[in-house]
Formats: sequence, C-alpha cells, structure tokens
Amino acid sequence: MSFTEILFYVFSAVLVVSALGVITARNPVYSALWLVFAFFNSAIIWMLLEAEFLAIILILVYVGAVMVLFLFVVMMLDIKVEELRAGFTRYAWLGLPIALLVIGEIGSVVWVKSQDDKALGLSSVASPAAYAADYSNTKALGQLLYTEYLYPLQLAASILLIAIVAAIVLTMRKRSGQKVQDIGAQISVKAKDRVRIVKVAAVQPETGNTVEGQS
Amino acid sequence: MISLHNVLMLSGVLFSLSVAGIFLNRKNVILLLMCIELMLLAVNFNFVAFSRQLGDLHGQIFVFFILTVAAAESAIGLAILVVLFRQRKSINVEQLDTMKG
Amino acid sequence: MSANLNFVVAYPEIFVLTAACVILLVDLFVSDRQRIVTFLLTMVSLLAAAFITVQYGVAERVITFHGTYVADPMGTVLKLSTYGATALSLLYSREYLQRRGLFKGEYFVLALFAMLGVMVMISAASLLTIYLGVELLSLSLYGLVAFDRDNGIAAESAMKYFVLGAIASGMLLYGMSMIYGVTGTLELSQIANRIPGIGLNSLGLAFGLAFLVVGVAFKFGAVPFHMWVPDVYHGAPTAVTLFVGSAPKIASFALAMRLLVDGLGGAVEQWRPMLVVLAVLSMAIGNVVAIAQTNIKRMLAYSTISHVGFILLGVLAGTVQGYQAAMFYTLTYVLTAVGSFGVILLLSRQGFESDALDDFKGLAKKSPWFASVMAMLIFSTAGVPPFVGFTAKLAVIQAIIGIGYTWLAGVAVFFSVIGAYYYIRVVKLMYFDAPVDNGPIQAGVALRTVLSANGLAVLALGLLPGLLLDLCARVIS
Repeated sequence: MSFTEILFYVFSAVLVVSALGVITARNPVYSALWLVFAFFNSAIIWMLLEAEFLAIILILVYVGAVMVLFLFVVMMLDIKVEELRAGFTRYAWLGLPIALLVIGEIGSVVWVKSQDDKALGLSSVASPAAYAADYSNTKALGQLLYTEYLYPLQLAASILLIAIVAAIVLTMRKRSGQKVQDIGAQISVKAKDRVRIVKVAAVQPETGNTVEGQS
Repeated sequence: MISLHNVLMLSGVLFSLSVAGIFLNRKNVILLLMCIELMLLAVNFNFVAFSRQLGDLHGQIFVFFILTVAAAESAIGLAILVVLFRQRKSINVEQLDTMKG
Repeated sequence: MSANLNFVVAYPEIFVLTAACVILLVDLFVSDRQRIVTFLLTMVSLLAAAFITVQYGVAERVITFHGTYVADPMGTVLKLSTYGATALSLLYSREYLQRRGLFKGEYFVLALFAMLGVMVMISAASLLTIYLGVELLSLSLYGLVAFDRDNGIAAESAMKYFVLGAIASGMLLYGMSMIYGVTGTLELSQIANRIPGIGLNSLGLAFGLAFLVVGVAFKFGAVPFHMWVPDVYHGAPTAVTLFVGSAPKIASFALAMRLLVDGLGGAVEQWRPMLVVLAVLSMAIGNVVAIAQTNIKRMLAYSTISHVGFILLGVLAGTVQGYQAAMFYTLTYVLTAVGSFGVILLLSRQGFESDALDDFKGLAKKSPWFASVMAMLIFSTAGVPPFVGFTAKLAVIQAIIGIGYTWLAGVAVFFSVIGAYYYIRVVKLMYFDAPVDNGPIQAGVALRTVLSANGLAVLALGLLPGLLLDLCARVIS
C-alpha cells in the first residue's frame, strides 16, 4: 500500500464521518460546519487525484462563499432547533434501510462487478500514469474553458446573472422610514446651499471683563 | 495509486448518505439544502475520478460548471427560504401543508 | 478553429440573451406607470427572435461550438413554438399581473431567461449544455413561482419546487457522470457512436441510464416523480402557472429527444421498459386523481400529468413515427393548455382568482362565446373529435401499435375515457348550472381577440391537421 493510498483511506474515512455529521447533527450550525469539514477533506482527495485547480476552487468558492451564505441564513433566521429535531427518531428507521440499499446497489455495480473487467463498461481499469512535475492543471483547464467551452461559459454567466436578479427581486424590500444615502444628491450639492457666510459686525469687548468662563 | 473503484465507492457512499439525509431531515429545509450540496459533491467525485482515469480534462470542466451552478442554485434557494420564513416564522416542512389533494 | 465556431446558427440564442440584458437595463429607467414599455419591448424581442430564427434556420443538422451546440430543422420548429407559447402566455398575463402589482420588469426578464434555457436545451449537443439549459430554465422558474412574495402559498410551492428540482438535478448529474465514465465523452453524437462498442450489458451504462431517466421524469412531471406538479400549478400565481405549463413542456420534450434519442438511442431497449412504467403510471394517476379535484388549476395539473404519459408513449416507441407523434402531441398540447389557463385569467378580477371549479358555473349565460371557447379547449384536451387533441392521441396510439404494443394502446384508450369524465364535468358546469358569480368579464380587447383565435386554432388544427403533421414529419426523419 503506497503512501498516497494510505492518505486516501484516512481522508475518505474522515469525509464519511463528516458527511454523517451533516445529516445527524442536532443544530443546523453544526451541520454547516461539518459540511465545511467535508469540503476540506474532499479538496485534499481531489489534490491526490491531481485535480488541483478544482480543489482550490472548492475551498475558495464553496467554503468561502456558499457555506458562509448558508451560515448567514441559519443565523439570520431564528430557527427553533429542538422543535425541528422532534421527529428525527420517527423517520430514523426509514433512513437507515434506504441508505443501506443505495450503498448496496452502488457497491454491487461499482465494486463487485468491476473486479471482473468490462462489466462496468470502462475501457481500461489500469491506473493512469501521473502527470509530469511541470504540468499545470490550471493552465490546461483555462485553455479548454476559454476556447472549446466558450458557449457553456456564456451560459454559466447567464445563470449567475439570473441568480442575482431572482435573489434581489425576492428579498429586497423598500421600507418606509429607512435612512439611506443618496449619492447623487450628495455630490450635486452646492456650497452656497449649505454654508451661509454672515458678516458680523465686530463688537468691542467691555473693559474689565473677567476670564472666569474660560477656566 | 488510488484505484478508480475506491473513489467510485466513496462517491456512492456520499450519495447514499445524502439521500438518507434527505429522508431523515424532511422537516428542516436548510438541512435539505445541505444534503443537496452533499449530493452534488458525490457527483463531482465521480467526474474527477473518471476524468483522471480517462486522462481527459472534460470531466474536470464539468465539475467546474457544477460548482458554479450550485452556487447560483443555493443563492436562489436561500432567497426563497427567506421569503418563506418572513411569512411563516418557521422553516418546518410539516407546516407546509396549505395545499392538499 | 474558426470552422468550429459557427456563430450564425446561434444567432437566435445570442439575440435573446442580448435582448434580455437590454430589457433589464431599460427597465431601470422606466417608472412604474410606464412599465408597459418593458412589456412591449419583450414582445418586439420575441417577434425579432422569430424572424432571426427563420432567417438563419438550417436545412440540415449542424454541430458547432466544439460539439456543444446543435442546430437542426426540429430545433428551428421547436424554438418558433417556444416563442409563440411565451408570447401568448405573457399576453394573457398582462392584465392579471397589473391588477396584482406583479407587473414588474424582472418578471419579463425572468421569463426571457427561462425561454433562453428552453432554447439551450433544444439546441444541446453535449451533456454539459443540457445540464446548463435545465438549470437556466429551472432557476428562472423558481424565481417566477415565488415572484408574488407576499403570497404564502406561492412561497411554499416555490420551496417544494426548488427542493424537488434540485434533487432531480442531482440525479440527472449522477446519471451523466456514469455515462461520461462509461463512454469517455460528453458529446451526445460521440456517445451515440460509442454505445455499440460498449455493449448493452454494461452495468455502468444501465446504472447511468436509470438515473438519467429519473431526472428526465422529474422534469417532465411523470408519476412517480410528479409530486411538485399539482402544488406548483396550484400555488403559483395563475400567470406563472400558465407559463410553467407552456414553454417548459417543449423543453421536456427536447430534453428527452436530445438525451435519450440523440445520445442514447442505441440503448432504446434499456430505457423503453422504464418509460412504459412511467407512462402507464402517469396516465393512471393523472386521470384518476383529477376527478377528485375542486380547484381547476389543480385539475389541469393532474391533466398535464396524464398528457405527459401520452408524450412519453410517443417517445418510447423508439421509431421516427413515434417521435413525430410525440412532437405533434407536445405542440398541440401546449397550444391547448395555454388557452385553458388563458380562460382562467380572462375570468379573474381584482381579488377574485376564478380558480375553483364552481367559478365556472353558468359561464354560458354570462358569456356564451367564451363558454364555447372553453368548451372547445376542454374537448380538445379530452381528445374528442374533431378537435386537435383527438388527432394527437390517434397519432401516438398508431405509433405504439406500430411497434406491437397493442396492450399499451388499450391502456391509453381506457384511461383517456376515464379522463373524459372530469373534462365533460367542466362543460356541464358551464352550460347546465346556474351561475354563482355574476361579476362581468373585465378583460381587454387584446386578450379577448387572441384567446378567441387560440380556441379557433384548436378546432382548425383538428379539422386540418395535415399541415402541422407534415411539418413534424419533415423535421424528424
């Protein structure tokens, strides 16, 4: 067993435990944090699988943006945790056999049958050679993305735009009595509207005035 | 080296855990959304593993797009959740029973 | 390189995307009272898109953008129908939206982006493009369903739609990943080439196919993956229900054609049994449960489910005749469904949704003309001759008998007869019951005219189906 394999098994085990944590944690905040942990482990396994760029993206985009959004919403909505967990045991028996069934099915297809080649339909079962040391995953992906995948890239951009439009139209409210900054009004203001220069006739101070007010 | 079967098995386990999670957490919408993220993670594992096995980068490109779309999807999902919460003060799915039939 | 980037065939998509962005910007400078400008701009864009699609239509299949985009005559016809369905549904919705304070620019932008998603699915040549099209359409629809954000039911149905839709996307993606692993490519034409080499006994292929079919069934709304359909149809504002029931149905048909026929056509023996189960269950549950409904939107939702069963029947035939019949069925069904929801919108007023079956009581006394329009639409949905629904059902059943599935044709006819019961009930309510609601019809001239034309089109197509049948036969061969 090579060192890479040992690393793979260790991180896979942690990944499965954290996935279990996501679905069984008592508090949505814990679930979100378990999910963050699962993403970190996945990123490490993707590194082992030589998908370095995606591993970084998973941390930056997923943990950095999406999970923070999740945590933000969990904290913003005042969710009564205990109430939501009350029905947990009622469905627990249902979840377990379903999970075992799906694991069994996938296992039989992927693991058992592929021991004798070809059953899975994969052309080669032998492991591929590792890339050369100066191979840049990011560069290769970038070259594909901006040439061959021009059309999907534009579509992804439209999907992001539609997400922005929909999220804003659903959640933004104009409340009355809100104090907002009107930048247009601020920069178009003239000095003479704000400051009035008044000429005040000089007054001769009375003689003999004490300085008690200043101390 | 890590064999393809190991990764596929791991992805299968993740996928089934997410499906089990959807059944277990039927009452809590935000946990449902997290289970869906877990499901997409399992799919991404499949693509990364196949991409390496085939020596073909197109699978990794697909993962890149899944990550992008999933980010957009969760933004809309959470927006709908906020709208719902403003009206109900609860995200309990069992209370979502206005419509029957 | 330049040979691989044929921008000309993609002009319709490029135009619609640009138009949607321009409308989004223009809307920013339009005050609430002049919002009609956004509406008119949207309509003009649809018209221009139709012109461009016809102008740059292709005579035969062209694959471009490095195997991610396909243009073919079937795509041209489906896109033109999509513009038509979108234009009709926006036209019918205008007054409804104005009355309910939903007449905002974002509504039209979301609708245009949803339509773009449909177009992307129609022209998809790779698994990636299919996925992006599905998501573009779904995300816009989630936004539209929740658009009336002060309405609790709408938010609830949007949430259900979102959760189930996201799970469906997960299933679809899992299937795609297996297909990619087995065939080693994302391009549908390449997948089709490699399937014979892999052999149909490959477990990976069967496994991927099963997940793909589940995903497609979810998007179609076929039983047992139909849970979202009644709730979304019922909960969404009627204008949105109308939209959800129109263009996305064309998208589902395109999804099935591209994925199952273009890509996995070689594995037809594998996916046919799955579709048989889906089709029979859809026709059974759709027609039987519809009888118990008191809300007409919910009833039409179950009716949609049963019609999806018929469309799947055409697809599962796996023959050119079957695909033609399914396409004819989809297009005529969309026309009829748009009209039926149009009548609900016509009868609605401020504070009155007109979505209960009882609201249709005595419509013949109130407005004989629109009662007869509704009757024509309902008869067509039920499949009564001489309306177009009958021709469509006949074409599908002929295709099924053509592959020797006579028992399946018998099942289809049996459930259609059960279905006829609840359709006829609506006609009975309109003609033989005393009116409950005496409010006048407030709709404007445009809605009345187009809706009348829509009803007459259902009759005209039923009397002269040859034109559209020939068109379907010409573009699928």
